[in-house]
Amino acid sequence: MNSEVRQELQKRVKRLQALPTSPVILKPLLELLRQPSDRIELKRVVELVSYEKAITAQCLRIANSPLFGRVSATESIHAAILSLGIRRVEDILLSCCLQQLIPNDKWVIDPAVFWRHSLGCALTARDLAERIGYEDPDRAYLAGLLHDLGILVNSFAYFEQYPKVIESAVNSGRPFDRVEQEILGFTHSASGTILAQSWSLPNVIVEVIEWHHDIEHGPAENPLVSLVHLSDLLCRLNSLGYGYEEWQGVELAASAAWAILSKHCPRLAKMDLVRFTLDLEGSIARIYELVESVFASKKQN
Amino acid sequence: MATEAPAAGSKTTAIDDLQDPIYVRLRDLVYQACGIYHPGEKLYLLAGACKRRLKAANANDIRGYMDILSTATKRDAELRELLNEITIGETCLFRSQPQLNALHNVILPEIVAARSKMGLKRLRVWSAGCSTGEEPYTLAMFLSEESEKLLLGWTFDISATDLNDRSLETAKAGIYGDYALRNTTAYFKRKYMHSVEGEKLRINDELKARVTFSRLNLNDDSRMLFMKGMDLIFCCNVLIYFDAASKRRVVQHFYSNLMPGGYFFLGHAESLYQVNDQFRLVHLPSTTGYWKAPPESTAGSKP
Repeated sequence: MNSEVRQELQKRVKRLQALPTSPVILKPLLELLRQPSDRIELKRVVELVSYEKAITAQCLRIANSPLFGRVSATESIHAAILSLGIRRVEDILLSCCLQQLIPNDKWVIDPAVFWRHSLGCALTARDLAERIGYEDPDRAYLAGLLHDLGILVNSFAYFEQYPKVIESAVNSGRPFDRVEQEILGFTHSASGTILAQSWSLPNVIVEVIEWHHDIEHGPAENPLVSLVHLSDLLCRLNSLGYGYEEWQGVELAASAAWAILSKHCPRLAKMDLVRFTLDLEGSIARIYELVESVFASKKQN
Repeated sequence: MATEAPAAGSKTTAIDDLQDPIYVRLRDLVYQACGIYHPGEKLYLLAGACKRRLKAANANDIRGYMDILSTATKRDAELRELLNEITIGETCLFRSQPQLNALHNVILPEIVAARSKMGLKRLRVWSAGCSTGEEPYTLAMFLSEESEKLLLGWTFDISATDLNDRSLETAKAGIYGDYALRNTTAYFKRKYMHSVEGEKLRINDELKARVTFSRLNLNDDSRMLFMKGMDLIFCCNVLIYFDAASKRRVVQHFYSNLMPGGYFFLGHAESLYQVNDQFRLVHLPSTTGYWKAPPESTAGSKP
């Protein structure tokens, strides 16, 4: 990316953050996320969330979905935190906040398609993390949820050119990042990184956003990048992508991401990946349902 | 795509009946003959198949039937009939659209690109465990369509094999009803089929000529050696009835019969996990396939 393109991008990301629709609880919530779990004050989170009725309702809907392994239906954020744990509820809250970040009518890309992929990738990353013994599955969820933050930036901050990007990707069956590089001169990894840094997201997450399409050049000591890369690919190959079929075959076990991740989690090499993708297919239907229900509620509000 | 699912409707066999050690002997016999293994919870399927054969085989009870299967002169003929009874499949045309999409979007372009250097424009496909013909005819329709596009100027042939004589007879006749055609669009019906008696449709002769049907026991090592030079092998929902040892042997044959760069497909819910580690698992849109890497790319990744 040349410096002119970069300056323009930075300017547009700044403008994006000044949006009046940005939920008031987003910033404090992001700050809370940086604290270790045992130092977060439950009361403070509950207080924060109660400011935004729409987010409370959405959050409970997601928390009560089978995808979050709920034990019994929860009726309050406080109860949700008790049954799911603070980290998971934070993840859910963040999903909801991000969905409110951009008004529905301003999207170039279908918001349901975007969130389906992000949520799908988040759930897949968490599932994969649990199966291979990665130490922090909830962190994997968050990384999966945010990895394509840049697409959100691009589709809003570059709304003039982005329809062309989408059209070209869909017609040629190529991944977004390649087409973005051609048309915009940078990829969603670059624009997502700028937004993530300005939000002061944890560095491991920023690295995922920055390198998830370029494992070879990314930081090998952060296995989360590889974990999200693989989850992203699995989603895109199993109808949880961006609403079109990419024309590619991928040999996961021969990829750089696989090598990095299996060094960190030896259990990966012994995993039956066909079984895993089959299980993934099983949860796709539930992910659809979840995203649909979250969006249905938005239209009513 | 094709199945060799055991016939349903035989669950009525009493449980205490199955405790009879004779069924264990029958199971071993069937296993030796074709590699299909009936574990305890599937033994009722085998019992059901034997009971259906009793009358035709002139046996009074299961012991009488076992005697026939132990008599040198009658053994082979009756064993063949019993295997027919065990390997009846229920399937339909165009059962796995993701596999066809992957062939169209990823695999055929890859094979065509690799072959363009060699000038050999021939594609060999094997449908192993083709049951009543739905899978090979689907592939024939699909490849005929491709012959007008990507495979222009190519020839292709499809070998379809199954253990079951009766399934093969049905396959050769190529007559299908609503159930088998539930995924077949009007376009394909019009182009490749004629209507016959009732509501049924028959595969036209031109398409039939594209498929060669023959009886093959996947457990027969000497016959398996002669299926060389394949580009694509489909063996869908067949190996689920095999135990680990015979599965390994059969898959080893598939591997050596494939051309380098060729692909092997299993049924939707099957995997080669702990069966074979020479094949390389490739994730394709909505499906998975197994790839035989050419010798020079053993260290590298797929392009």
